[in-house]
Amino acid sequence: MLLGPSLALSAVLFGIGVIGVLVRRNAIVIFMCVELMLNAVNLSFVALSQYHGVGGRVMVFFVMTVAAAEAAVGLAIMIAVFRHLESVDLKNINLLHG
Amino acid sequence: MNTLDLLTPLGALFGLLPEVIITITACIVFLVAGWRGSTPAGSRLAGWISLAGIVLSGVALSYLWLGGFSPSGIAHMVALDPFRYASLGILLIVVGLTIGISLGYMERERLLAPEYYGLILLAAVGMMLLAGAVDFIVLFLGLEVMSVAAYVLVAFDRRSPASAEAGLKYFLIGAFASAFLLYGIALLYGATGTTNIILVGVQLSSGTASLLSALGVGMLLIGFAFKVAAVPFHMWAPDVYDGAPTPVTGLMATGIKAAAFLALIRVLMQGLAPVEALWQPVISTLAILTMVIGNLVALSQRSIKRMLAYSSIAHAGYLLVAVWPGSRLGAAALLMYLLAYGITTLAAFGILAMLGRGGERDVTVDDIAGLASQRPWMAFAMAICMLSLLGFPGTFGFIAKWLVLSSAVFEGQWLLMVVMVLASVVSAGYYLPVIMAMYMRDAEPGVTYSGVTVWGAAAGVVAVAIVGIILLGLWPPDLIDLSMESAAALFQRSMPVAIQ
Repeated sequence: MLLGPSLALSAVLFGIGVIGVLVRRNAIVIFMCVELMLNAVNLSFVALSQYHGVGGRVMVFFVMTVAAAEAAVGLAIMIAVFRHLESVDLKNINLLHG
Repeated sequence: MNTLDLLTPLGALFGLLPEVIITITACIVFLVAGWRGSTPAGSRLAGWISLAGIVLSGVALSYLWLGGFSPSGIAHMVALDPFRYASLGILLIVVGLTIGISLGYMERERLLAPEYYGLILLAAVGMMLLAGAVDFIVLFLGLEVMSVAAYVLVAFDRRSPASAEAGLKYFLIGAFASAFLLYGIALLYGATGTTNIILVGVQLSSGTASLLSALGVGMLLIGFAFKVAAVPFHMWAPDVYDGAPTPVTGLMATGIKAAAFLALIRVLMQGLAPVEALWQPVISTLAILTMVIGNLVALSQRSIKRMLAYSSIAHAGYLLVAVWPGSRLGAAALLMYLLAYGITTLAAFGILAMLGRGGERDVTVDDIAGLASQRPWMAFAMAICMLSLLGFPGTFGFIAKWLVLSSAVFEGQWLLMVVMVLASVVSAGYYLPVIMAMYMRDAEPGVTYSGVTVWGAAAGVVAVAIVGIILLGLWPPDLIDLSMESAAALFQRSMPVAIQ
């Protein structure tokens, strides 16, 4: 049921997330875009698991757990950066450069 | 030959014994952190407990390896074959050396929180699961356990803005890369109906490659390319390696890269071998770009830490050459190269950690001029490391590089071979100046190296690594046989049974 549209929506959401990461410069917005990408993938897993059995749905739970752990660590790092630099805007963060 | 049924709790416990021991040790270390707090004694205690855990895990690993345990039926989540045992061996050695370097470093830099060692152990568990996974679910979880611990470790120096900035960059890029990898897994799951890597291989070999599976392979490769810092997905690496505390940089350049490569070769050889026409051109392009750009940019670095960061990018290119053929010789060469590169790089970072203060970002090639006359053994160790990274005959690095080259030549891939030889010649342009500065120049007036602190654990680690580099460089046959034997495990094809 609705496999094609679900996968297409998931691809579009993933694409929006990628563009957001590449275009936006605020660390928190970038992180939100990454979360959007992860949830787009979750949508794919759920849609596909209708055909392929329960494995995909199991994966979704793991992905949600991982995303929560990443959020905890990532936001803590952002606080650490803010304490030093008073900003989480990547254009202000250039102590190290390639 | 003993068999283990991985579907029973006891069987799974036995099969995962090395990982379980490290996890328990990590829990104990966190308890120590609560009990002793951030004191020098607490930090030291936590460090020694972690080393003991690594040794115990090594004992459990050799029990599994020597017992020749294999799964009954197919491996469901985690592989139980000599290739996994060899991978775990390399990872345990690398993590053990890192902890040894950290022992005095953390005290000197006043980073006294014992949690550091717990995080290193958690990262180690992630690496071990990542390298041993035969199911994409375990692979993803291992990757994330490793990465989340690594994000914290990079940002561990709370007083340093550079460390926090490196942590932020690593976190954003790491999460971005994980999402690509995950999308690749989802698409392959859609194309084949399974997340088991071996069964994915079975499915792909029975049908033609669909658009879905091709996209999945592509996404998977992008994710891995970010993780191993292959050009053009490498932009984060020099900054992050530069800002992180030096032992953490060592761990990232060796352990994390090794785990990602071991997972990559298992996925490519066990799961995606039927569609090798899809990934071989991508891997060879990445390899050539990485070797060329990594080496050329390293030439212009003055800071030794940044030079080693770019050198680690260049070495990722050599490792991709070993991945490319998808052959037994290639996998054996990968194992050898990871071990050689791992112990050499960690020894180099250990020496760098002893030479500098405050993150070592400012130790340049000029700062070590005349080191040989003041600290002959330290200069000698650094020189051996540089020669081994260069691939000079008589060192372990040469043997490993030779194996990688022969794995490419064996498949008639002359282009990769030529680029790799030329890149190695270019790399002499930044490894040799370090040796020349130490031996052929006099120290700047007033520089006495009296501030150089040598602590027992790191000196021991470096000494062991140097002895290993020389001995294995002079007498490698046993180790080559062992790695060839381990690599054979990647070719065991299972019967297409039990596809739920």
